Amino acid sequence: MSWTFFKHLWRSQRAKLLIVSVAIFGWSTFLPVIYQSFGSQMKALIDSGVIPKQFTSFGGGDVFSLGGSIALGYIHPISIILVSIFAIGLTTSAVAGERQRGTLEVVLARPLSRRTLYATLFVGVVLFIGIVLAAAIAGTVVGSAASGLLGELAAERLPLLWLNGLLMWGAIAAIGLAASVSFDRLGPAIGVTVAIVVVSYFLEILGSLWPDAQGLQPYSLFHYLAAREVLAGTTDVAGLALLAGVALAAIGWALVEFPRRDLAAPS
Amino acid sequence: MDALTTTALTKRYGHRELPIQRLARRLGRQPSGDVLALDDLSISVTEGEIFGFLGPNGAGKSTMIRLLLGYLHPTAGSATVLGRDIVRDSVEIRRRVGYLPGGIALYDSLTGERLLDYLGELTGRPPTRRAELLDRLEMSARTMRRPVRDYSRGMRQKMGIIQALQHDPELAILDEPTEGLDPLMQRAFYGILDDLREAGRTIFFSSHVLSEVERVCDRVAIVRRGRLVALEDVARLLERRKRNVELRVADGDLPRLEGVPGVSAIARTADGRLTCQLEGDVGPFLAALAGHSIVDLTIEPAHLEEAFLELYEDTEPDDGEPATAAASAGETGEAGEAVA
Repeated sequence: MSWTFFKHLWRSQRAKLLIVSVAIFGWSTFLPVIYQSFGSQMKALIDSGVIPKQFTSFGGGDVFSLGGSIALGYIHPISIILVSIFAIGLTTSAVAGERQRGTLEVVLARPLSRRTLYATLFVGVVLFIGIVLAAAIAGTVVGSAASGLLGELAAERLPLLWLNGLLMWGAIAAIGLAASVSFDRLGPAIGVTVAIVVVSYFLEILGSLWPDAQGLQPYSLFHYLAAREVLAGTTDVAGLALLAGVALAAIGWALVEFPRRDLAAPS
Repeated sequence: MDALTTTALTKRYGHRELPIQRLARRLGRQPSGDVLALDDLSISVTEGEIFGFLGPNGAGKSTMIRLLLGYLHPTAGSATVLGRDIVRDSVEIRRRVGYLPGGIALYDSLTGERLLDYLGELTGRPPTRRAELLDRLEMSARTMRRPVRDYSRGMRQKMGIIQALQHDPELAILDEPTEGLDPLMQRAFYGILDDLREAGRTIFFSSHVLSEVERVCDRVAIVRRGRLVALEDVARLLERRKRNVELRVADGDLPRLEGVPGVSAIARTADGRLTCQLEGDVGPFLAALAGHSIVDLTIEPAHLEEAFLELYEDTEPDDGEPATAAASAGETGEAGEAVA
């Protein structure tokens, strides 16, 4: 871990971190309000049979309960895109992007091992994701309070919800960094990472909307982001362990691959 | 003492070897699709000298530098920098070395001052030479407060030089350092190199601008297709190269130069001039002119460029056999003949 490199990373990302945190805070504030305002009407609409029951759950979230609306907020494309700014954008550009631009040359000319560089990047990215997820949880609390729903919220389980999100996005960030250290150009690194995330997301959403495809959900990382279950007190510990395992595998790959790669001159 | 030594250093680019490919290589079969970027290169750079590493694009200059700094891993052979092994002690080497990459890229969003602070902090040594370098390269305090994105190509190159030398490294590895500098700044840079040499610092200088190598370097290694073609003192290299001679006599009685040691390519023109090439000691040539009324005599000074071209012409058809021109600093005298 290099403190100097970490400070540079922090300075270069802090404005972006602030914007993303504010955006996800706002989004998370919004969801309890939707549940409080439209939850009963939506439920009546579903019960009337106008909308097929398959559409009542989107990736494990819904708007018929506080837990469901919070889960919907986590799996919704808006929050996926916001957290991906760090979990995919930063990780893939941190090594492959800097290689392509040529700026990694002057950093690696310093007494900094590649493993130290990687470790600092990983710690930094996980910290940024942790801050963004904390902003999301803060938004949930504020939104619940504003809607008079604070009594329904299992506040003591919020830290576990944060950890669940951190493990899921940490696994994706680890995959992004593993791709980043494996390629000399940003395109392939971002392509591989986005492909993994999109396929994973597609499997989870498809399984949630189409009962015949439910068997595909365990193959998705997003399946283990179980906000509703965490808030209901039925946390799947095996799921959390699996996310940690995926992250560790990607970290292991990067720690082996990065130091032994040849870094040819940037073209 | 040597600041840098390579022993049969070899780098082959290509796909990572599978066990079956490694076995095939051991049995003497060349892996297909590979590029031999550096082949069996052995050189030594003595502490306190300015060493030029010459070759055209693609000759292996950057590969050599990248091996020394740990960006690349050698396929075979070994090397030490400041007494440290390039594979095991790469981090320690980089603590003591300053490096200017060719075509340097910098963080555009940072100001010049912040960039130098950041890179200096990463190096972990105080930037003792920064103020002097900024002054000599005419980078004002106002300029340093501007973001790097506003800098011209020449200013970026100056920043590259400053970041490489600001912590007063024991060894500076400079890849095409004057690229983008105007003639005035080139002169200022040569002055900086002279001062570093006086301070006992070692400079490893890669370039294809031969005039500047001739101007600043004590010794040069010339590489071609990853192989060492020559390694010797710049002065000795110039001494050995053929100078063009043209002379005119008053009465048309041209001297007979055939058989004079060092004289070749003798030609007489219709207007009474004589041209030839002269190599080595000029004594026998001048003796042969004695007694003739010389009206005009021109001997072109030797330039490294011509010596370089001569070496390359001599070694043109070398696709088959590997070079054997490895030589070390201690063998400079013999290395003069080490032309593959």
